[in-house]
Amino acid sequence: MSAFDLIAGVLLIASALAAVTLRNAVHAGLALVGNFLVLAAVYFALEAQFLGWIQIIVYAGAVMVLFLFVIMLLFDARADLGPDPLPWMRPVGAALAAAFFLLLAYAFSALGPEHPLAVIKLAGGLPGQLGQLLYGPWLYAALLIAVLLFAATVAAVVLVQPGVRGARQKPQAAERDRELEEVDR
Amino acid sequence: MLLLLILLLPLLGFVFLGLFGKRLREPLPGVVASALTGASFLLVVALSLGGGATWEIKDWLPGIPFSLVLDPLSSYMGLVVTGIGFLIHVYAIGYMHGDEGFSRFFAYLNLFIAMMMTLVLAGSYPVMFIGWEGVGLASFLLIGFWYTEKKNADSARKAFIVNRIGDLGFLLGMALLYSLFGTLSIGELREAIETSTVLPLALGTAGLLLFVGAVGKSAQVPLMVWLPDAMAGPTPVSALIHAATMVTAGVYLIARSSFLYANLQDVSYAIAVVGLLTAAYGALSALGQWDIKKIVAYSTISQLGYMFLAVGVGAYWIALFHVMTHAFYKALLFMASGSVIHALGGEQDVRKMGGLKKYLPRTHLHGLAGALSLAGFPLLAGFWSKDAIITATLAYPFGGTGFYLVGLAVAFLTAVYAMRWYVLVFLGEYKGSGQPHEAPPVMTVPNDVLALGAVFAGFLALPEPFWNLIEPYLAPALAHVEVHHMSLGLEWGLIALSAVVALAGLYLGYLAFTRWALPKWYLAFQTWSENAFYVDRVYNALIVTPLKELALALALFDGFLDTAYTALAGVSGWLGDRLGRLQTGYVRAYGALMVLGLVAVLVWGVLR
Amino acid sequence: MSYYLLLSALLFAIGLYGVLTRRSAILVFMSIELMLNAANLAFVAFARNSGSLEGQAMALVVIALAAAEVAVGLGIIVAVFRARSSTSVDDLAELRG
Repeated sequence: MSAFDLIAGVLLIASALAAVTLRNAVHAGLALVGNFLVLAAVYFALEAQFLGWIQIIVYAGAVMVLFLFVIMLLFDARADLGPDPLPWMRPVGAALAAAFFLLLAYAFSALGPEHPLAVIKLAGGLPGQLGQLLYGPWLYAALLIAVLLFAATVAAVVLVQPGVRGARQKPQAAERDRELEEVDR
Repeated sequence: MLLLLILLLPLLGFVFLGLFGKRLREPLPGVVASALTGASFLLVVALSLGGGATWEIKDWLPGIPFSLVLDPLSSYMGLVVTGIGFLIHVYAIGYMHGDEGFSRFFAYLNLFIAMMMTLVLAGSYPVMFIGWEGVGLASFLLIGFWYTEKKNADSARKAFIVNRIGDLGFLLGMALLYSLFGTLSIGELREAIETSTVLPLALGTAGLLLFVGAVGKSAQVPLMVWLPDAMAGPTPVSALIHAATMVTAGVYLIARSSFLYANLQDVSYAIAVVGLLTAAYGALSALGQWDIKKIVAYSTISQLGYMFLAVGVGAYWIALFHVMTHAFYKALLFMASGSVIHALGGEQDVRKMGGLKKYLPRTHLHGLAGALSLAGFPLLAGFWSKDAIITATLAYPFGGTGFYLVGLAVAFLTAVYAMRWYVLVFLGEYKGSGQPHEAPPVMTVPNDVLALGAVFAGFLALPEPFWNLIEPYLAPALAHVEVHHMSLGLEWGLIALSAVVALAGLYLGYLAFTRWALPKWYLAFQTWSENAFYVDRVYNALIVTPLKELALALALFDGFLDTAYTALAGVSGWLGDRLGRLQTGYVRAYGALMVLGLVAVLVWGVLR
Repeated sequence: MSYYLLLSALLFAIGLYGVLTRRSAILVFMSIELMLNAANLAFVAFARNSGSLEGQAMALVVIALAAAEVAVGLGIIVAVFRARSSTSVDDLAELRG
């Protein structure tokens, strides 16, 4: 295990923990961005260069930006306020997550030895080889993704049309509105 | 087909009157019912003159046909049932006048006639059993006719339940016969038994079981307790069902099965003993009764005992002869009592009667005729038939002198209590407070016919050397029994002795109940007799109360079971409620549950 | 390689914890994205191990999928927010038994 592996591992875990625990949504989002960027570096190390670039451009650059936009749009930065109606969820969730991790670890321990020609075959994960795979055997997958993206675009536009009139407010929402107003003052 | 009409017509009467009777005005339901019964009578006459008839549905039950047969025996019984039934129907039009259940009464009466004719005309035991149960049902409905009074409903139930015990015997007997011979058709069974080599023990058991059925239906000891209570029903019911017809069904059953009993010496002996015991019990209990109808009821028990004595010794035709004469004079006695009750506006206690001779002259004549015939006054119908029975105990194969002597003694007692009945009701001074008035013609005319029968019917079967019309008529349908014929002199000597005994009893009764002051020992005996020797109390203590306790205990246990089951059901409800709480509505909780499930699946998958 | 696989399992578990614990819908969504990336890491690690490019192709598909999903998902969150003025997951508790 090289130094790179170690540092990358630490950074990934730290940023992930930050993303799931920080109260401020914007801070959590930024932590997640960091996580994605480190992940991209890891991809580069694992002979998946094209994928690494895509990770940076799409995930860190588009998806997370979209997240941050929506957080700001909805004034949702201080999202996790107020008393937790399910306090028992913390320990239970932690236990379940730990159980899951152990199971996956056990399952992954059956990994076979590394293929001796792996690096050569991967050819660095560059578009040339990857493209031949994508437009060859995986053509249908690629086409379906195109359809999917189209559907998603239409759906996103439709969903945010105004038109829900007279929606009632929940008491917690009204309370939170008041809280926010107070903070603003 | 005409044969089927005999029982279909009254059945139709039952249905029609049951459904529409309420809309008909008096006396139309009574007229309809009487007409249908009369039509049945005429059909029996016509078909008998035509030489009999049969009617059958093959394979009604698997292997058992539904067959009706009009042979000498069933035509004889059928004539008695429909003839006397018709007279009583007419009488009841007058007796039940003004009762709000008028049409219901006649519907039930017609049902009874239909069922009784099913019993009589049956060509196979299951058909007879249908009629058997049917008359039990009709009896229940009619005893409890005025059901709003608890006593009447209780009496009806008592009759039905006690009958049921006998019915069990009948069923078991039928089952045994079927398993032995594979058929329940009476004709086939007769051939089979007369030529069979079946173990006598099995045959004897079957005979005994059928006899148990007869004991229940015909109120023999020990199942006689229902008959006195059955007097709670209207008087026409007592006359028809509990004197003339239903209670003789047991005698009819044994006569029908004579081919079975003729070869069973021990069973026949037992039958005769039971009959004798019943005769004695009935006579002794009649002496102490104060209700005009109960006296006649215990007398019926006693006379039924005589009939069973006759079949027990093997004299089947004589028992049937007594059935006929008894039907005449007992129905007459009941209907005369009914006229008296009707005249006094409902009074039934003889201590409040007396001196009715001058107020009710026609009814007085009827009562006198009935009482004398019952007592065995020479030359009357009852004299010939009762004497035939008593003499038969010496002449017939299963008899004996013991039977003769006790039978004669009971005949003496019969005369005494018959005279007592007559004296207390009609002679002396009127001790009551009502306004006695004679019954209307619709009630007295049928009684006139019955009185004629009570006086003259005995002349149908006279001892040697005179004519006997009944014995040869019935002979083809009954089993042949070896009779030890006595010399003419002995026979007529015994007849004379019976006459003397009867006259002595009548005279003693007259003296005892009009002139003498009764001695202390007799008064003590009278209390015992009045309570029918406390048989009801004994039964209650030994049987009824323990069964009631058992029923209560079981009901309690049943309550526990119910609680247990409800609790069990409650558990599933509780479980459902608990599980329902899982659905809190919180998405996160659902998510956690999903992950939990996923973990479980993975564990199973990984560990495999 | 097993190191990266373990890492991916750990990241996945952390994301799972976040999904169950966070109350704001957007933060839940972010945890889901974390889980998806953990899966991607596993794919790439396998590809590196076996020398087959199929793993990387799959990871590409997943990224595209995630992008589409984020678009629609955030649209839903915005629509719900407009109706309920709240992004708390716990406020949508009507589907109860």
